[in-house]
Amino acid sequence: MSDSINTETSTDAQASTGTQASTDGESPGIQTTAGESEERVREEWTQYQFDGAAKLSVEDLNVWYGDDHALKDVSMEIPENSVTALIGPSGCGKSTYLRCLNRMNDRIKAARVDGSVELEGTEIYDSNANLVELRKRIGMVFQSPNPFPKSIRENISYGPRKHGDINKGLLARLFGRDDTEAEAELVERSLKQAALWDEVSDRLDDNALGLSGGQQQRLCIARCLAVDPEVILMDEPASALDPIATSKIEDLVEELSKEYTVVIVTHNMQQAARISDQTAVFLTGGELVEYDDTDKIFENPESQRVEDYITGKFG
Amino acid sequence: MSDAYATTDRLVSAESNVYDRGLDATIALSVVGFALGMVTLVGLVPLDAGGSALTGAFATLLAVVVGAVGISGLASYTGVAPITSQRVRGIGIGLVVSAVSLAVLAVALPVTMATLLGVVLLVEALALVAAGATSRAGVVDTEPNMSAGLLAGSVFGAVGLAFGTVIGGALVGFGSPLWAVVALATGAFLLAVTVLPREDVGSTASPALVVATLGLVVVTGVVGVGWQWNPQTLSGGFTGSAVIPVFLLFGTLLSAWSAAKCRAGFGARGREYGAFLVINLNAFLMVAVMATIVLFVTLKGVGYAVHGITVGALTLLVVLSPALVGAVQFARSPAGTSDWNTGVRQLFRVLPLALVGSLGTVLAGVLLTGSTLRYAFTYVVQVNRAGETIDTAITVTPDATVGTLLLIAPALLLAVAFFRAFGSLRSVGTQSARTGSVRQAVPTAILGLVALIGCFLVVGPSPFGLPLGGTLGFAAVVAGTLAAGALAVLPLAGVLASNGSSLAASAQDEAPLFTLGVFGGLGLLTAALVLQPVAAVNPLVGPVNLVPAVALLGAVASLAVAVLTTAARRGSEETITRRLLAEETRLGLVGAAGFTALVGLHVAVTGVSFTVLGVSVANEGSLSWPMVMQAYIPLGLEPGGIMPAIVGTVWLVVGATLFAVPLGLGAAVFLTEYAEQGRFTALVEIATNALWSTPSIVFGLFGAAFLIPRLGGDESLLAGMLVLGFMLLPLVLITSREAIKSVPNEYRDASTALGVTQWETIKSVVLPAAMPGVITGVILGVGRIAGETAPLILVLGSTLNATNAVDVVGGFRFVARPPFVVNDALLTASASLPTQVWAVIAAGVSGSPQMGWATAFILLMVVLTFYAVGITARTYFRRKLDYE
Ligand SMILES: Nc1ncnc2c1ncn2[C@@H]1O[C@H](COP(=O)(O)OP(=O)(O)O)[C@@H](O)[C@H]1O
Ligand SMILES: [Mg+2]
Repeated sequence: MSDSINTETSTDAQASTGTQASTDGESPGIQTTAGESEERVREEWTQYQFDGAAKLSVEDLNVWYGDDHALKDVSMEIPENSVTALIGPSGCGKSTYLRCLNRMNDRIKAARVDGSVELEGTEIYDSNANLVELRKRIGMVFQSPNPFPKSIRENISYGPRKHGDINKGLLARLFGRDDTEAEAELVERSLKQAALWDEVSDRLDDNALGLSGGQQQRLCIARCLAVDPEVILMDEPASALDPIATSKIEDLVEELSKEYTVVIVTHNMQQAARISDQTAVFLTGGELVEYDDTDKIFENPESQRVEDYITGKFG
Repeated sequence: MSDAYATTDRLVSAESNVYDRGLDATIALSVVGFALGMVTLVGLVPLDAGGSALTGAFATLLAVVVGAVGISGLASYTGVAPITSQRVRGIGIGLVVSAVSLAVLAVALPVTMATLLGVVLLVEALALVAAGATSRAGVVDTEPNMSAGLLAGSVFGAVGLAFGTVIGGALVGFGSPLWAVVALATGAFLLAVTVLPREDVGSTASPALVVATLGLVVVTGVVGVGWQWNPQTLSGGFTGSAVIPVFLLFGTLLSAWSAAKCRAGFGARGREYGAFLVINLNAFLMVAVMATIVLFVTLKGVGYAVHGITVGALTLLVVLSPALVGAVQFARSPAGTSDWNTGVRQLFRVLPLALVGSLGTVLAGVLLTGSTLRYAFTYVVQVNRAGETIDTAITVTPDATVGTLLLIAPALLLAVAFFRAFGSLRSVGTQSARTGSVRQAVPTAILGLVALIGCFLVVGPSPFGLPLGGTLGFAAVVAGTLAAGALAVLPLAGVLASNGSSLAASAQDEAPLFTLGVFGGLGLLTAALVLQPVAAVNPLVGPVNLVPAVALLGAVASLAVAVLTTAARRGSEETITRRLLAEETRLGLVGAAGFTALVGLHVAVTGVSFTVLGVSVANEGSLSWPMVMQAYIPLGLEPGGIMPAIVGTVWLVVGATLFAVPLGLGAAVFLTEYAEQGRFTALVEIATNALWSTPSIVFGLFGAAFLIPRLGGDESLLAGMLVLGFMLLPLVLITSREAIKSVPNEYRDASTALGVTQWETIKSVVLPAAMPGVITGVILGVGRIAGETAPLILVLGSTLNATNAVDVVGGFRFVARPPFVVNDALLTASASLPTQVWAVIAAGVSGSPQMGWATAFILLMVVLTFYAVGITARTYFRRKLDYE
């Protein structure tokens, strides 16, 4: 079952051992990417101590896609008003983990989630959980920019409008009770927060698909901010963008962390080192291997595998 | 650029030589021949035309070609639209040369059309042989392959087989098996000629042989105009007048392909150019077939169909008004900034406006001078196999009466268009406490009137003998109307009375009055207006009806406001002010159009016409179009009206669409968005596809045996609607499913991540994105059902030559018992256009064949109208999704 994961060919002598260790599903050995050394994950590596309150606490989270065990016993606490980076080789379950935090995995028929995720002490996997409210409080930005094929203005006001916070229907317009002003304010505030206002303020009624990739991604961030979330989940938000757009997004993330709790998946280790306060490293097989201060992870990781990963021995 | 490329470039495309020019001319001749083939196939010019008829035809051809090439050449020469391609230039010159030569031949020689067409084919064949030989001899530089290829070979082999069959049949007869030998031999010969030699010979010799054979057969008269062949095995036969044009179409297509290959020097580029030309001529053929059908039906039916149209100039002006607004809008759109095309584009932009303007001026002239415009013409009707010429005319009279429908429709259209363009005027100007309280009161007043309407609808105007309608209703109508009038003049009065420093400042200050006046006035007046018939009252002020008078006042006041704000806009500099004033102008125009629509609506609901200053609005307008608007059948030669059939068809389509679209779309949403993908959805898919392929007569039988007994036992409009609806349903379902499936999942993810529920997501993101696809399905489906004849014969009753139309709108009645709303009109038999055409033309039931053709023409127009509506809607939704 793990042969498919071993797509990397490596001249490293360790490649063969890694493959052999993982071909036997029953053995206690762990799945590894080619080039990875074998070791046992120690619990204390993931016990990150921080000051202040935890915004999200994840306890023993397991995810299966059919028979595929994609995430194994992940537990971590995410501190408030900070940037948490999730790094790891592709296919190790970062996106899966992120999607668990706002229950986007509910949309995937094959996915089965087990464990507990608490937002400020409230279990979000409770059967009575209000998904609308949950996703209003935990927003999400996707890997490829996905604005709606609507005007820039409508993209921003979409969420509040659907939640009934802004009313612009025909009747409201006829009787002069529409929230056009409120909408204009909201659009301006969100776009300014997303550092996009100056570029689009004179073409708010143009279709959002006419923006460049980087602008579209910032529009998606603005759209997410417009519903006033507390947590923002970002899944490799800059991976489809050019370096300049990427640096704009990075600046934006740092800015946002003053008011919001940001959890960001990234493939780019320099990026994680630059913008995050703490970093969680996932490695092949869906395990959280190490979670600590970003400086600690990048300068002096406990795990040999994390060190190998960070120094580029595999990935 | 390397030297090698420069050389090839010069050899094949840059430098023009006799070889290239000759082949361009050959291609051009093929195009002309192809066009002539179609013209003769349709019978526009008969094949046996000779003398002056032939000269006339070629003079026309010459004029068309010289005109088209001349304009393009002029545009190219002056740099307006430069044509740089050597090939296009060559073909242009070739077209002129071909047209001139043909015209000269037609004048100089005593030949018929058919002979000339044969000559065209022979010339083509000679040109191909010459081109192939030139290339083979190495006189010109070409890059032929080893062979023309098996594909071309098998095509020519098949052609040879067919030729051989005919030749063999003619020589030895089909009695002996020898004909098969001849056929096989010819096929093998052509296959060999194509495949064996080098490409430049292979792909010129065989087409030249084929084309030359066709040409010879025609020129020598072996297959002449009067030629006829009736094979015993076929019940039909072939005639020369059908076969010769087909020869020509086929032959010219073949030589165009071959000449194009030669022209591009064979090899890969030759194949490319050859395929390009054939594909283009094919596409052209498609368009031409469509155009031919429309043209043919039009030619056959239009004279009868437009017999005796008379229309008042004012009515035409009203109908023209949306076009005028559209033209103004078009002229205002930016003309671009770059060099030469600015001027051209500006010209292009004002052209529609100029056109509509000149038309409008002519109509106004008719109106003011009281003169009449008349275009007289004749057409022929077959009576007992003899042609009878009928005189008729299209007339524009200075009549100043406008029919309600033709007033309401454009006015409503304009009101909606202006309202859509209107943005918002909130937080502009000074809000006074008094306008605030009026603003609060207006919705209450409207709701009160609506409640009264409801009461009177249920209990009638005089319940238990109490004259409530005459007293309470009357008072409410008067009060509502007067209040609406006051509101309507509010913006104008406000602007005029305001003490702002300038017109612009006043208009800006009084902005709150604009929304209040226009929307409040329109709403209140509409409610009062609808209350009138329900309460059976119609208040008068002296000789005038109160409601339309107030509506007219509102229209005039709103128009005045629009004019004032436009004037103010000219004088102001600031962008913000200008934008606000533009909003106010739009609002004024909404009012003007809306109140005008209400004048019409009043006349429509009360039936009392309204006249002011010689202009009147009446239910009976000044448009008279006997074929479309009347419902009788001629006994003599006068054309009969088919209004009931038109109304029937329109209702059938509307009813079927209303039935099928919500159901189909709803099912598609369920199956794609909610249902678990699996056996069940697969089963539904198979069932839908099968339903779509079910023959329409089966639907008809089902309707007749299943629906009709359950719908009162008689053939009825409702049964027709349902049967057509069942036929439409699968297509709507299939196309909607595809459209919904093709909406990217990212949109759904994005919406879900914002906390929006699935249903809201479907409604606001998925369906709008799927809308163009859904509409495409509806367009296709409506095209199918609108002309459907077989099931309607079984279920509709298909009244022929009906004398009255089903009154579906008037048929609705409210009853106090369930089902509360009944409609007898839906349960009566109706006429429809396709069944009418079928009965008149195919079954020969009463009426002349021209009546059938005219009906077919109108059916075509009705279908094209539905089509246009659908395409407009689709364009609208596409625009919203696109980012141009
Ligand atoms: N929708 C899905 N259905 C089935 N398997 C999935 C799905 N999404 C992810 N997986 C599997 O789960 C594992 C983790 O994927 P993912 O979370 O996307 O990794 P990452 O984001 O770290 O690259 C992979 O093995 C992947 O194949
Ligand atoms: Mg991922």
